[in-house]
Amino acid sequence: MSKPSMAKTAAVLAADTFREAISNWIFWGLFALSTAMIGFFLLLLRIDVVEGAIATVSLFGQSLVRGRDVNTFVIQVHAAVATFLYSWGMALAVFASSGLIPSVLEPGRISLLLSKPVRRWQIVAGRYLGNLLVISLNTCYLVAGVWLVFGWKTGVWRTQFLWTIATTIFIFAVLLTVVIWIGVVFESSALATMVTLALMVISPILAQTRIAEKLLSSEEARALWRGLYYVLPKIYDLARMTLSIVRDRPVESLMPVWSSAIFAALALGSAIYIFSRRDF
Amino acid sequence: MSADFAIETEDLSKVYRTALRRREIVAVDGVSLRVARGTSFGLLGPNGAGKTTFVKMLLSAVHPTGGRARLFGRDARLPEARRPVGYLPENHRFPTYFTGSGMLDFYAALSGVGRRERRRLIPELLERVGLERWGGARLGKYSKGMLQRLGLAQALIHSPELLILDEPSDGVDPVGRIRIREILRALESRGVTIFINSHLLMEVELFCREVAILDRGRIALSGAVKELTAANGYRVAAAGVPADLVPELRARAASWEANGGLEAFSFSTREEANAAIDRLRAAGCPIDSVRPAGNTLEEVFVKTVHG
Repeated sequence: MSKPSMAKTAAVLAADTFREAISNWIFWGLFALSTAMIGFFLLLLRIDVVEGAIATVSLFGQSLVRGRDVNTFVIQVHAAVATFLYSWGMALAVFASSGLIPSVLEPGRISLLLSKPVRRWQIVAGRYLGNLLVISLNTCYLVAGVWLVFGWKTGVWRTQFLWTIATTIFIFAVLLTVVIWIGVVFESSALATMVTLALMVISPILAQTRIAEKLLSSEEARALWRGLYYVLPKIYDLARMTLSIVRDRPVESLMPVWSSAIFAALALGSAIYIFSRRDF
Repeated sequence: MSADFAIETEDLSKVYRTALRRREIVAVDGVSLRVARGTSFGLLGPNGAGKTTFVKMLLSAVHPTGGRARLFGRDARLPEARRPVGYLPENHRFPTYFTGSGMLDFYAALSGVGRRERRRLIPELLERVGLERWGGARLGKYSKGMLQRLGLAQALIHSPELLILDEPSDGVDPVGRIRIREILRALESRGVTIFINSHLLMEVELFCREVAILDRGRIALSGAVKELTAANGYRVAAAGVPADLVPELRARAASWEANGGLEAFSFSTREEANAAIDRLRAAGCPIDSVRPAGNTLEEVFVKTVHG
């Protein structure tokens, strides 16, 4: 019997989470949705490109677009897919992930896991990484699939769209820390889903800081607004950043990235701390 | 604290606090216990006595509020201390997405068993617990008894030096119980320490050399099973004892009981028992039985817990 490294133990736990996730129909639902989207673009959408401009884009024989610049058209499609990933894709991913912490905390399961020579942080890290891996694979599949289909059909190979993989995984990595935190503290998948989706919904509202500054009358209310905006993860800003990259526009600030990363690190760190102190 | 003991606790305590810390519940109250290497030890106690909390503190699933626990001389809080330990929890919930082999592979990997070794050990262990044809089946298809045997295989896969079993034969049929007992006997003969937490007194009496009875969080009694259940007198039973003889024999006996027409007297010494037999035969009363009056573990348990 050898002494496995800490990383190897965490990898075994992550692989277990991956196995559990793919036994869950919701993840297969995500995969099917991605496949359907790629299939739609590949099989149903007909694109005729003539000398750099799109002659026609047709669906079931019906003409949708005529004579538009092919580059603009591809950018629009890429942006639409990125928006889908940020909104519906992310919501589905959160919904699919919310049960993975409560399931491992079931009494007869966690006590057996803790009886093994594993550190508690490895259990949380394994759950986190395994879950992230499933969503990352699905994101890669969808984005790369759409990119290949459109590249092949239009001859436009814009690599900016591939940045969507990194930003989508990053946004999910941030949201997943909230799912993990709620799961560890309250052991409730429903609450984890609700809180995380609430953060997604509130994010575009909080991002309207200029409007809030004008509308709010008291300084305390403005300070509270600013505080919430800077403390909570900036999902909306990250999505806008993704769209800027996709559209080949400059990224105004990296603040949403590092402040959200700090939020995620604190949420995950405190989840591990709470998990380490709990009795099971 | 010494490495000669598989388990060693010193004033181990656990106090649970209710919400807002308004009320304290003492689950384990200053338990000091030593379990020597290579022995088979049974932890008994009524429901709510603190047995499971005690076991969970040994495995660091529950944090003690006082005292210390060591496994083979190592602080039980360290992950490394749990490396030589195999554990079968009560009411286990093995993930149903596993197959039998997959589950053993996962827990073995966590215990540090290499891939090649796992490939060799898994079929062997499945055969040992009688599940050789079930390795590829999902756990959702297993019966409760089969899951219990698979759980035992899981606890054994890394060749532990200490086996902690929480209600090991729960849900297992009599044949399966005998099989489990045989496996445990073989392990004990190889020097593996076996610690059983059970409410099945017969099972503990049949298997364990030593026991401790935990009551309201404290060790109420501990010792060797043989000593605790040793003969401590003689029991003479007779039918149709004359009414005038009954008060005399009851006065001489350490205890007595009357059941239907049968009177049974327990005497502390052989002489007292012989004298009683002489009186009964002189009165023409047929003797029903004479036997050493030992305690069963159940009797010891009831006396200890209920006084």
